[in-house]
Amino acid sequence: MVRDLFMFAGLNERTQIVWFKIIYSKEPGSLSSIIDFLEKENAFIMFGHLDNITQKTGEYSVFIELDKNSDPEDFARKVEELDVVSEVEYGVSKYRMIYSADFPLNVVGVRGVAARALTIVDIIKTLNQNVPHAEGLLTMSGLKGGIHSAKYFKSILNLDDSNFADVLAELYRGVGWGILEIECDPKTYQGKIIVKDSFIADVYGGADQPVCAFMSGYFAGYLTEYFGKNISVREVSCKATGKDVCEHIISPAPSGGTGQEYQLRGETR
Amino acid sequence: MIRLPNAVLGNDELLVTMGRKGEILGFFYPRRDHAQHVEESVACIHTGERLLWTNDNDWHCIQNYVEDTNIVSTKLYHDSGIRISILDLVHPDVPVLIRRFKVQSQREISGKFFYYSNFNVGETSKKNSGFCDTDTHLLVQYWQNYYIGIYSLPEFTEWQIGKAMDTIWWTNSKYDMEDGKLQRNKEDIGNINNAAGWDLELEAGGANEFVILMGAASSRHLLYKRIYELSKLPLEYIFEKTREHWVMWLSRKQVLRMPGIEGYDNLRQELFSAYNRALLVLYLLNDHEHGSFVAAPEFDSNFEKCGGYGFCWNRDTSEVVLALKRSGYPEYCDKFFKWCIRTQLPDGSWFQRYWLNGDIAPSWGNFDYSTQIDETGSTLYAMDVYYRVLEGLKKAEFLEEVWVSVLRAAEYLMKRTKSGIHESCMDLWETYYGIFTYTNASIYAGLMGASHLAEENGEIGMARRWKKRAEFIKQATIDRFWLQEGYFAKGVINGKLDKTADASILGTYVPFGMLSPKNPIERDMIQFMIENIQKKLSVPINIHYGIKRYENDSYINGNPWVVTTLWLAKAMFTFALDLPHENAISSPIQETHHEKEDRYDEDVKRFTSEGIKCLKWALAGATSTGLLPEQVDQSTGKPAWVIPLGWSEALMLDNILLLDKICRRKAGNKKEG
Repeated sequence: MVRDLFMFAGLNERTQIVWFKIIYSKEPGSLSSIIDFLEKENAFIMFGHLDNITQKTGEYSVFIELDKNSDPEDFARKVEELDVVSEVEYGVSKYRMIYSADFPLNVVGVRGVAARALTIVDIIKTLNQNVPHAEGLLTMSGLKGGIHSAKYFKSILNLDDSNFADVLAELYRGVGWGILEIECDPKTYQGKIIVKDSFIADVYGGADQPVCAFMSGYFAGYLTEYFGKNISVREVSCKATGKDVCEHIISPAPSGGTGQEYQLRGETR
Repeated sequence: MIRLPNAVLGNDELLVTMGRKGEILGFFYPRRDHAQHVEESVACIHTGERLLWTNDNDWHCIQNYVEDTNIVSTKLYHDSGIRISILDLVHPDVPVLIRRFKVQSQREISGKFFYYSNFNVGETSKKNSGFCDTDTHLLVQYWQNYYIGIYSLPEFTEWQIGKAMDTIWWTNSKYDMEDGKLQRNKEDIGNINNAAGWDLELEAGGANEFVILMGAASSRHLLYKRIYELSKLPLEYIFEKTREHWVMWLSRKQVLRMPGIEGYDNLRQELFSAYNRALLVLYLLNDHEHGSFVAAPEFDSNFEKCGGYGFCWNRDTSEVVLALKRSGYPEYCDKFFKWCIRTQLPDGSWFQRYWLNGDIAPSWGNFDYSTQIDETGSTLYAMDVYYRVLEGLKKAEFLEEVWVSVLRAAEYLMKRTKSGIHESCMDLWETYYGIFTYTNASIYAGLMGASHLAEENGEIGMARRWKKRAEFIKQATIDRFWLQEGYFAKGVINGKLDKTADASILGTYVPFGMLSPKNPIERDMIQFMIENIQKKLSVPINIHYGIKRYENDSYINGNPWVVTTLWLAKAMFTFALDLPHENAISSPIQETHHEKEDRYDEDVKRFTSEGIKCLKWALAGATSTGLLPEQVDQSTGKPAWVIPLGWSEALMLDNILLLDKICRRKAGNKKEG
């Protein structure tokens, strides 16, 4: 899942965070020789990521904490002088907040961004406070994201009844949206999704009504695309309203007239 | 969401604005300013595999008008080999838009043709109702006494009425088309949308045709009746009737000749087309019941990036009706001035802007300090210009009709110009508070016009008093605002003289005639002013340069404006015509008669040629359909912001008529010689 690297680092006035993208030839022991060199130079490896570009070459992206007085350019040149290394790029995370060796970030096959949960929740709040049909609008927005994700996973792995729920849960955890417990019967399309630590409900503050319509829409889009059948997902319980967790109910979308639509909302008609 | 049109069409009751790919952006019924019933209305094709929206980026498009009509032709090409030809027209007598889609494909398609609409009937997404009448095959959406309906030939075979923005997303018609079939929900309420569907079975190289009628009415019964009656008529007959309507309307125009302009490549034909297009556009901006005009079809009703344009400004409309009068359509003056009599405020002034029915519009000019006095000056000036061309009984009747209004307006201007320049108010660009050259010039012209009308009405005392004040204003404006650099200052802002070069100072010459080329000193002033505006406000883009409004203009990136560029052209053409023949621009050298003749010819040629460059620049900045925008993007050279702007179109008419006059005069001289 992780196609890009990014990190947060605390303040340390004596060091600097530098990333290196090292292209090396994949011969036996070549990666060890790079790591040995870094150790010898007292470069503290914070995070590393390996990627196989071709059968013969590999890419090693590594975040290193260097002494503040070290010259990253000089360091990069020394790495490049290693026999196994063909190319080195580097960059400095000046404020040590967040950095990526690859730009732009890539999430589920397309460009992604990292943002504070509150940044997104502020948008949701502004919509809720100012726009008619905000809940519907957020549902529709989430729906598109969910459809895209399911399409993407179908294209890169064998998505089936045994793993569709796990993949969705792993995605949510990976991007920091929440911890999911999914129960969904692929035969009846019935079930529920418990979201622990939903990033929306967590930072939204108190609310009278559930606030995770965007997530309901996302789940609906994912499941609809996977099952090939319209799936309704509605949030019946939300952490923002004082509950421990958020709960979303899964059911097949009714077809036909408005009567069923209203029943879905719990109204009697 | 702001979306600018590329074409407009309609009839007396209906105004439709359309994007480059044939998507409907605005559907105004029964007035040009209210109500706008459409949020989205566009065709889609389901290829059997995926849904293609005809307004997305994958389509290449060509859009133009059927010559000399308000009938629009749009051609769309998709990389997959699908081609769609759309013909759009509005029946001249009935508020129904008729859309013929011809779908062709290079490869076999077994899919669907969908027509999707998100109506906000009554200009609201709230409390709408929608239904599909499967007996008559009509999709209808209504709110109060506004009914919008869709009918088709052949009749649609599937449909959906769904929630446009709701948590029950699967009823949404937009989404419903994705799987290639519609759910056939028959009715719903609230914020709703709809879709109609037909089978699309195409062999490679084959074609299918779908005709969609989109009508408006004040009741369900009337809607049904209108659509039913129209559906019985062959499309070819309606097309011919519509074409004939526009051709007949254009046949009343002042005929152009433009002798001797052949040297400018295709310019003659381009100007003839632009002339017709301007007339056809202005027809669509006019409220035929009330006589008012929208400045442009509204495109920013939420005032997201500006204050909106779908209202009537007296300043713009005075220019528009006078241009139409000069072009052979005097009745627009008559109706507009009747509207002015009705809308004049109790203090004798006119408000910043109005709804077309005469109600005051949303405004930031509610006080004496924030009103725009030039609008009162412009209106009075225009009334007098119109009066001067009337003859006989009509002349007397008009004066009788407007006299009280003239009296009240002139006294308002007197009240606000006691010191010889006007009291602080807002400028014509609606940006600054202060005292402005342009506004003073408009008041001068208003009072001179009122003085003439008073004289004609036998009120000699009033005539003398108003004329005296007008002359006082002229002198005070020249004394206080004329700069040694050779142009008028913009005005006084925050108590200080603002020397910013502003194209609106051209108003001292055209249209308001405060400076006269008959006076040698004033003639020099006009010439200096023209040169300085060229020098200080030119923005090179496209084939020549455009003129921006003023130095450091920041509104919508400070682009050059079509209005100011055509205003400069108008000043140049007028100057070329006004130059005294026997006395070409003053030369310190003693000249013979022949030398003077040569100089005169040279001057006329120079101003004419510069004016033509401005005209060509404006034409280069028009849409593919020939609509003139307010601005031209200074980096891309493409039409920018308001489309079409009535003021731009009116100035185009004026310029073409002036150039025609220059050409005729020149041809006449040659003949005489």
